[in-house]
Amino acid sequence: MKIALTYLVLLVVLVGAVALALLVGHGSLADPTLRSTLLGLRATRVGAALLAGAALATGGAVVQGVFRDPLVSPSILGTTAGASLGGQLAMLALISHTPLFGPALSAEMVLPLGCLLGAGLSLVIVLGFCRERTGSLTLILTGFILSSLFLALSSFITSLAQDSWDMSRAVVSFTLGGVGGVSTRQLLAALPFVGIGIAACWLWSDTLDLLLSGEDEASSLGVEVGRARRWAVTWVAVLAAAAIAVGGNVGFVGLIVPHTLRPLVGVRHRRLIPACALLGGAFLVACDIIARVFPSRSELPLGVITGIIGAPVFLILLARSQREVSHG
Amino acid sequence: MADGTLIEAQGLTVRRRSHVLLDEISFSLEARQVVALLGPNGAGKSTLLKTLAGLLPFSGELRLDGREASRLDRAERARLLAYVPQHSALDAALPARDVVAHGRFAHRDAWGRPGRGDDAAIDHAMELTDTRRLADRSFCRLSYGERRLVLLARALATEARVLLLDEPTAALDVAHALGLLHRLRDLASRGSLVIVALHQLNEAAQTSDRALLLAGGQLVAAGSAAEVISAEPVRRVYGVEIVPAAQFGYRRPAEKATAP
Repeated sequence: MKIALTYLVLLVVLVGAVALALLVGHGSLADPTLRSTLLGLRATRVGAALLAGAALATGGAVVQGVFRDPLVSPSILGTTAGASLGGQLAMLALISHTPLFGPALSAEMVLPLGCLLGAGLSLVIVLGFCRERTGSLTLILTGFILSSLFLALSSFITSLAQDSWDMSRAVVSFTLGGVGGVSTRQLLAALPFVGIGIAACWLWSDTLDLLLSGEDEASSLGVEVGRARRWAVTWVAVLAAAAIAVGGNVGFVGLIVPHTLRPLVGVRHRRLIPACALLGGAFLVACDIIARVFPSRSELPLGVITGIIGAPVFLILLARSQREVSHG
Repeated sequence: MADGTLIEAQGLTVRRRSHVLLDEISFSLEARQVVALLGPNGAGKSTLLKTLAGLLPFSGELRLDGREASRLDRAERARLLAYVPQHSALDAALPARDVVAHGRFAHRDAWGRPGRGDDAAIDHAMELTDTRRLADRSFCRLSYGERRLVLLARALATEARVLLLDEPTAALDVAHALGLLHRLRDLASRGSLVIVALHQLNEAAQTSDRALLLAGGQLVAAGSAAEVISAEPVRRVYGVEIVPAAQFGYRRPAEKATAP
């Protein structure tokens, strides 16, 4: 009953956030000549925020399960930074007409693929360095070092892109994160990645639950642990890539949302993953509303807002986990 | 292989880098027995249990229920052997019943759907371990002893014929320890092979039919519990003398007291 009520509340919150996002923003819907254009533009960015939020929150729940650590998320592990770097490289290749991806791929597919390669690479590095008994601190430090490396490379790319005004604007806008410039074709290209990624993670729910017992116990209960971890990492990479492709470098969603939901729906992934998809989407739509209505000369980047909310939440969670360790 | 033999090891050897953790161990074990794994700290008891559970690479020959161990896939092995580690890594806020239900994972069909007998097996396992009262409680909020019982229930829910238990009575109070050992005997009488690593020789003497005594990764003695837990092997491995009588012992109600 409590679970059903929670899902109902999440659905209401999501619908409310979407409705509000369609109604508020620059330009008046009262003007009949602008209404359909404004609604179309807002619907596209709402769709992008929904997809990115759902994907990042689900990815967060899955990596926390795989690493058995509530303090990790795609952004903490450097996955989003990796996806962002991959996306920048793909964008650079696209704008400078470098035939890196071949003529068979449309422009809308190049960005997600670049993000996918970057996210996958970062997760493979983390998995390679951090085995099962790796503590939170090592995981976080590995993620921090990877993020720093990817950010340094991103800065290098940004400096290269400054030769062209169009290129530098596109790269900087993508790096800061935001759903403002997303086209319907981009949205449609990311949709199957997010849909299939969330569905796949949900289908692996029971296996993810067993991984909470650690590699040895899960293995003794019949889980092919290596295979399960590889698949989980693949789907997290797909989700992070799709999210970054439509939302840019947006952090902390995968940390805040699963933490908010576990006390309400429990730790079983079969319940947690759909709830994360709902609240993750609603959360990023709400952040996008703030980005649009915040009184500033230009629109605030989405990544800045999620960072301002997410960083203190992360520090609180870190302090709480340190207290739990010191109190045994 | 004799009829009823569930585990047969020939020259079982486990190495970690240059260290030999198990050195050319050979034994065979049959159903309907409680087998005590004995030996001082670092003797190789946990290593042997993990090797049997398929968690460590080994050389030598290992046959499980008549089949080459390497030919069994993960699920087949999990349906044959259930393993309960000394320290579980599980610390999640899962209801205890959900933890027990994990024991049914290897019984799922190709589509991952639960088996028909899952609920009955889970209920039965919880009944046997007296953990039904804990069903809705969060695993991470249970006491150490309660967690041990829930993990034993998870192992029983697998309906595996071989139970591998690593020091199940460690940190349990006397009543829980005796209750658990009593249940292990009961399981063996129903047809299981129970292999249990124990530190307390009195517990082993009271509970087990057979014993394997390990020291430094080698099998020092194997045979009936009475033969292995006797003056000479115990003195040789542990460097202590067995005291045949003590001032007091423990027993469960309606059982004869046995001196530790």
